[in-house]
Amino acid sequence: MFKSLFAFRKPLSRRTDLALGIIGFALFLCAWEVTARSGAIRPEFLPSPVAVVQAFIGLFVERDFSSDIVISVGRVWFAFLLSMIVAIPLGLLMSTYRFVGAILEPFVDFVRYLPVPALVPLLVIWFGVGETSKIAVLWMGTFFQLILMISDDTKRVPVEFIESGQTLGGSNGQIMRHVIIPAALPNMVDSLRITMGWCWTYLIVAEIVAANSGIGHVIWSLRRFVKTPEVMAGIITIGIIGLLTDQAFRYAHARLFSYLRR
Amino acid sequence: MDNFIEIKDVAKTYWSDDGTSETKVVLPLSMTIAEGEMVMFLGPSGCGKTTLMRIVGGLETPDQGTIHLHGDRLAGPDRRRGMVFQSYSSYPWLSVRDNIKFGTRYRKDITAQEKEEVTDHYLNMVGLAQYAGFYTNRISGGMRQRVAIARTLASSPDVLLMDEPFGALDAQTREYLQFQLMDINKAEKKTTIFVTHDVEEAILLANRIVIFSSRPARVVREIHVDEILPMESRRNGTADMDRFFKLRAEILDIIRAEYAHTLEGV
Ligand SMILES: Nc1ncnc2c1ncn2[C@@H]1O[C@H](COP(=O)(O)OP(=O)(O)OP(=O)(O)O)[C@@H](O)[C@H]1O
Ligand SMILES: [Mg+2]
Repeated sequence: MFKSLFAFRKPLSRRTDLALGIIGFALFLCAWEVTARSGAIRPEFLPSPVAVVQAFIGLFVERDFSSDIVISVGRVWFAFLLSMIVAIPLGLLMSTYRFVGAILEPFVDFVRYLPVPALVPLLVIWFGVGETSKIAVLWMGTFFQLILMISDDTKRVPVEFIESGQTLGGSNGQIMRHVIIPAALPNMVDSLRITMGWCWTYLIVAEIVAANSGIGHVIWSLRRFVKTPEVMAGIITIGIIGLLTDQAFRYAHARLFSYLRR
Repeated sequence: MDNFIEIKDVAKTYWSDDGTSETKVVLPLSMTIAEGEMVMFLGPSGCGKTTLMRIVGGLETPDQGTIHLHGDRLAGPDRRRGMVFQSYSSYPWLSVRDNIKFGTRYRKDITAQEKEEVTDHYLNMVGLAQYAGFYTNRISGGMRQRVAIARTLASSPDVLLMDEPFGALDAQTREYLQFQLMDINKAEKKTTIFVTHDVEEAILLANRIVIFSSRPARVVREIHVDEILPMESRRNGTADMDRFFKLRAEILDIIRAEYAHTLEGV
């Protein structure tokens, strides 16, 4: 039983994987509960998990937290899709035509290294404090990363795949549609999954700025009243949504690209 | 047609990555290949065989010289020259059958119905009917190479270009595929250029063997194997073994001498 857990670089069964994941969480919660109960840290700083769960329920009952969640999810997805729609064609072009790459790469690299929070004041000047500036923050944080990732994903398509397609008579456009995109798709979906994660990271930055809705806004406004359990509940909500989205992407990946399993 | 493929004064030079030194890979080189001929390229490693074949395939542009096929001047890759690579180039997102069918995808000379028939024909020819629905990373290396060969044949190229297609395979699979290739050759008389390091493979399959010098590639010797060992005798195992061993020894001597030049050049 225990020995099989240490199979060298071998996969475990799905049930074992799941059980171990839950154990990991449980251990973390136990350690947290024990620390909180010991009284070593004041509850304003470290409330017990039970208090956080109560706060979590309270958020839904006393404040309209579910509509904040819907708003945040909407913002994240909107910005994510906007990044995706622009980054995928441009990334493909960048990796296909060197001149597009030569024009865009230095600029994209430059913007990519700008710290997104530092851009917030500028974006607010440009777009005001409404939805547009929030979407813009998320978009700035993801688009410039995604475009390079998509370009790299397509560059990694083995040259033999492309050359075989050419000697089978495919035109450039056909090779793009029938060979390059299908070959790069699994990696692209992974890139999208990772980008989605960044969207959630920047959500807080976006919603701290003069927002009056969204998970980030709730967390930020409760902070002022030192409602630590509620703040933690808010953070955990993001964690849970992130985890679920990530799992959905992974599931879709496994279903769509079952041929990658050996 | 004697000059089915006409390679004329083709030369190629590569520059080192720092741009300071040049490597002449192919000297102005001319060669003709007849329709239906199976030509095997032999030569020391790094002499330029792959480069020459890629030039014929349109995947590499020569610095000078021309390639004509059937009197047409060639530029860039197209369906007339099908390439089988040494590495496995079958598409992992397609099943074995769909990979082979991909070979017919850009053909306009046959109907959709005929494409299905052609696909099944080559699927059976390479003995993979049982694996039709398998993704190609679930089958062995030898099977994958058969998929690649069948896919190329399904595209019905005028010329088959094979760059060490069996190089990475075990001896049994290699032998099996060699005989399959002989069968295909007998059935279809496909003009083929085949690069190999295996002298016995060359003797077994060739109408003509072309031996190249060390880099830059120059033809040092051409051997018309049919005149020494009739193709039929090689196919049915009645080839004169004395002649076979003599020929093999002769070829090995030439290659060894050329290989020695390679080392001197270093
Ligand atoms: N893209 C390239 N850029 C620079 N040099 C190259 C390039 N492709 C090939 N060469 C050089 O050209 C020479 C010939 O290479 P080529 O692959 O044609 O040899 P080969 O005869 O096929 O060798 P092998 O039998 O080992 O496959 C080698 O010295 C190689 O380093
Ligand atoms: Mg080679």
